[in-house]
Amino acid sequence: MSALLKKEMRLSALLLTYLFIAFGAMTLLPGYPILCGAFFICLGIFQSFQSAREANDIVYSALLPVAKRDVVKGKFQFATFIELCGFLLMAVLTVVRMTVLADALVYRHNALMNANPFYLGMALLIFGLFNVILVGGFFKTGYKLGKPFVIFSIVAFVVIGIAEALHHFPGLQVLNAFGLDHLGLQLALLAGGILAYILLTVLAYRKACADFEKIDL
Amino acid sequence: MNIVEVRNVCKTYPAFRLKNVSFSLEGGKITGFIGRNGAGKTTTIKSMLNLIHTDSGEINYFGLPLSGHEMEIKQRVGYSTGTVSWYPRKTIREIVNVTKTFYPDWDEDAYRRYMTLFGLDENKKPIELSEGMKVKFNLLLALSHRAEVLILDEPTSGLDPFSRDELLGMFTTLKEHGVTILFSTHITSDLERCADNIVYISGGEIRAACTKAGFMQSYGEPGETLEEVFLRLEREVLA
Repeated sequence: MSALLKKEMRLSALLLTYLFIAFGAMTLLPGYPILCGAFFICLGIFQSFQSAREANDIVYSALLPVAKRDVVKGKFQFATFIELCGFLLMAVLTVVRMTVLADALVYRHNALMNANPFYLGMALLIFGLFNVILVGGFFKTGYKLGKPFVIFSIVAFVVIGIAEALHHFPGLQVLNAFGLDHLGLQLALLAGGILAYILLTVLAYRKACADFEKIDL
Repeated sequence: MNIVEVRNVCKTYPAFRLKNVSFSLEGGKITGFIGRNGAGKTTTIKSMLNLIHTDSGEINYFGLPLSGHEMEIKQRVGYSTGTVSWYPRKTIREIVNVTKTFYPDWDEDAYRRYMTLFGLDENKKPIELSEGMKVKFNLLLALSHRAEVLILDEPTSGLDPFSRDELLGMFTTLKEHGVTILFSTHITSDLERCADNIVYISGGEIRAACTKAGFMQSYGEPGETLEEVFLRLEREVLA
């Protein structure tokens, strides 16, 4: 683990951020828009960003013997670490729903999105969008978080709404596959989510490094 | 030998401009950076630490440009800024335990020594410290990793006269150990007490950068104290 990630975890992060990883367990909630769990995990990261800002964390980090871009790297490492912890929990519970609970009536009679690889791919898309809009947006100024958070919230709920609605459209029922049905397509959709997450995060990181280099602390 | 060189640094803000700031810091000497509030001392110091993006200019430490050698240079430089409170709700112990992982040359003995000297308690949080104690905590971090250069922004502000005297005495001891010190202040008696060289900034421009004796010779009038010289020079700028 890098010194910067340790610093983020021990000085900058709030306990709340770690607790909010548990929102990944919303994967098991029947009759609930389970993708909201991804949003709440992001909300937990946002709380740490807010708290760190009030603690002069960015200037403190910039004064450490690290390059300015490493300050950005530390924040991205922390955000991705929390996201991947949340994703891991969601993935494990999705596998449980796809196997042990595949025939549970409470999930079968569910108008909302099912927990399957497509769901995991969409969760990764939301995490990727968080990295672009909130983490990347923060580094445009090094202190403004309100506007990026409002934009992210709107975008996240639009994505959640679309993901929840898609399988009700003719021909798209396969998106809501149960158990191991349509596994090839489902895994391809998850791969798409992984790709989107990586692309969005890498682009956001590069842009944030360039933006942060230009701003005054 | 010049350990730090600042050359033609310019920075424009909507209501303030740093104009071609140039000076150098002689190794093993104490340089007082003096100017009134808003003269550009903190902006200059921030540019020396790459905290602000300058419009132009060059900053070199140990013969290396800051740009491109930030990590290795910062290992050898200590910085402290007045009363800023880092992580106000973490204990000093927690902050130090993380900070020292970034410095392979962290000096635990020096850290313990300064803790005792400054009367700091590791279990206290910055939010519980007075302004003067916050200054001391910031200095503690700057002094505990065997820095060869100390850049201190108003280190004496908020300190009681006794602590100020102790600190200025400590600067002299550090100088004897070869440490180069730049400290900004608007208190002329700090300079009289320990500075070898003076960098005087006014309205974003360096008006003088020379030895203290040279400064008095060039700008002082017979019978004037250092404070009187600065006051007269500032009045001349305003006139």
